Amino acid sequence: MIGGSVADPALRLSRIEKHYGSTVAVAGIDLDVAEGEFVTLLGPSGCGKTTTLGLIAGFFPPTAGEIYLKGKPVADLPSFRRDIGVVFQDYALFPHMTAAENVAFGLRMRKVGSAQAAKRVQDALDLVKLGGLGDRRPLQLSGGQRQRVALARALVINPAVLLLDEPLSNLDLKLREEMRVEIVSIQRRLGITTVFVTHDQGEALVMSDRIAVMNQGRIEQLGDAASIYEAPATRFVAEFIGRMNLFTGTVTAERGVRIGDSTFGIEVPPQMAPGAAVHVAIRPERARLSAARPSEGVALAGTVRQVFYLGATREVHVDLAHGEKGFVELRNDGSDAGVQAGSAVWLSAAASNCRVLPAAAPGGRP
Amino acid sequence: MNFTRWRANHAPWAGLRLFVILVYVFSLGPILITAAVSFNSGNRSFFPPRGFSIRWWERAFAPEWLEPLWFSIKLGSLTALAATLLALPMAFALHRYRFRGRDALLALTLGPLMLPSLVTGVGLLQLFELLGLREYVGFTALIVGHVVICMPFAVRTVAISLSTLPPNLELAAASLGATRWATLRHVVLPLIKTGVVAGAVFAFIHSFTDVNLSIFLARPGEIPITVKILGFLEFGFAPTLAAVAVITLLLPLVLVAIVERVSGLGDFIYGDRK
Repeated sequence: MIGGSVADPALRLSRIEKHYGSTVAVAGIDLDVAEGEFVTLLGPSGCGKTTTLGLIAGFFPPTAGEIYLKGKPVADLPSFRRDIGVVFQDYALFPHMTAAENVAFGLRMRKVGSAQAAKRVQDALDLVKLGGLGDRRPLQLSGGQRQRVALARALVINPAVLLLDEPLSNLDLKLREEMRVEIVSIQRRLGITTVFVTHDQGEALVMSDRIAVMNQGRIEQLGDAASIYEAPATRFVAEFIGRMNLFTGTVTAERGVRIGDSTFGIEVPPQMAPGAAVHVAIRPERARLSAARPSEGVALAGTVRQVFYLGATREVHVDLAHGEKGFVELRNDGSDAGVQAGSAVWLSAAASNCRVLPAAAPGGRP
Repeated sequence: MNFTRWRANHAPWAGLRLFVILVYVFSLGPILITAAVSFNSGNRSFFPPRGFSIRWWERAFAPEWLEPLWFSIKLGSLTALAATLLALPMAFALHRYRFRGRDALLALTLGPLMLPSLVTGVGLLQLFELLGLREYVGFTALIVGHVVICMPFAVRTVAISLSTLPPNLELAAASLGATRWATLRHVVLPLIKTGVVAGAVFAFIHSFTDVNLSIFLARPGEIPITVKILGFLEFGFAPTLAAVAVITLLLPLVLVAIVERVSGLGDFIYGDRK
């Protein structure tokens, strides 16, 4: 699988697996997270991302494989002996303790002296901008404030790694976008190694140094936001992150791709043999529409089925002559789109904007 | 306001009011009548009482009645303590783990709720004799029997309060460095405290008011107040008995009132916590 080796990783997952009876939740994951890095596990529900986080946290043991925290194997250690901080989706604050007591809990367990503990608790609450609310109980706090307490509680113990399990999904949209920025800024400031779990591609793209796209218990692709978006390795990744046109084709002997009756000169990965079934993936914002056939790249003839006006963009859906459907996103730059339902058009893209992916059954998209 | 609307608005409330009044009449009425009877001045139990005297109350505070009362308090307290201590780990296991025999354990724990305690009493008596433990019939056998029939209450209330715990609290505590014991002590127990206290109170009351089981396992000198009252009834209902009954009734009532004040016992009866 994709290893993503890093020298001296703060966290290393080595071939870890987790089975529940005959169900395989995590099917062998290798992942290195560098000191201070923010890595996101992104995938649909049931892809194994939360299970992977639980394995790192030590909530249950892996079926196979080893986990290294700062170079030390920890797979056999219970959660309370690992040096981790966890923020849960439901925050899991202790309802019978005040915000400050919640934050102090980890220090109390570590037998930190009370004067020092009080100072660190105050610093942590200040860090998440809750300085004045230390004596409130969780029930007296709003969702966003609870989230901040949970973050302070996980950070105050200076864990080797911070684990965030969909911490934003219970917040409303505006607050969610605010917290994205804030979590990243705190993470950068403290330089704390972080693993973040989400199903929200927007969060993943904005927040992460690197994203591991997970599907069916495996990492399908690991890379920074741009490389995941620009160069998806599989059909699953192409469809899960952003939106994508996928056209079915075959690799020809001349190392081009045949779609319908036409052959196009686009770059085919070397491991694909002539005759291999492939998908040609084109982002809708990289595709173009024209009345005349462009000379290079991929160009497919069709008829406009429908035009959707979306304000900042127009979305043009095209029935292609070879039987598939495609769509193009046109920026609303003031010029007339010049197309309407029934127009005969060419849907095209420069060769550099086309990616050839191995044909595969559609992934487990929710 | 016309009549139809008046009826639509008030008839259901009038019906509910009547129902509530009936509930009060039939639950409080007998108690008030008993209390009144205890102040009769004559030898017979009249209602309304004829004359006024507190001589039956003086008799009720004689050692003949205070001893079984004290015996019942001891029995109830020890039963409540033992039943709660046993219920805690059991409710925890039932709540937390899915293991082989879980359903069987659940049925065994809650079984005595459905079994007439009369049957349990006969069964226990025979068991003690079969095991050659005849000499333990009395206080020891009563403790065993009462724990058996009272534990379901404790298991149930503890289980209810465990099920109200937010799911990730224990994991959160573990991630912050708390051992299992520390998690139990600092997180779980403080949050299920009310359920534990409620379970103990229910166990005490059930033990204190039990007669069906106790009648088989008591022996002279080791008699709970309920069995003593039943025995006395053979000679007819004297006003003394009315006084004793009121005392016996007040004790659990006061206990419930105190606990309700301190910890909101009602939540467990009316299921607000579920």
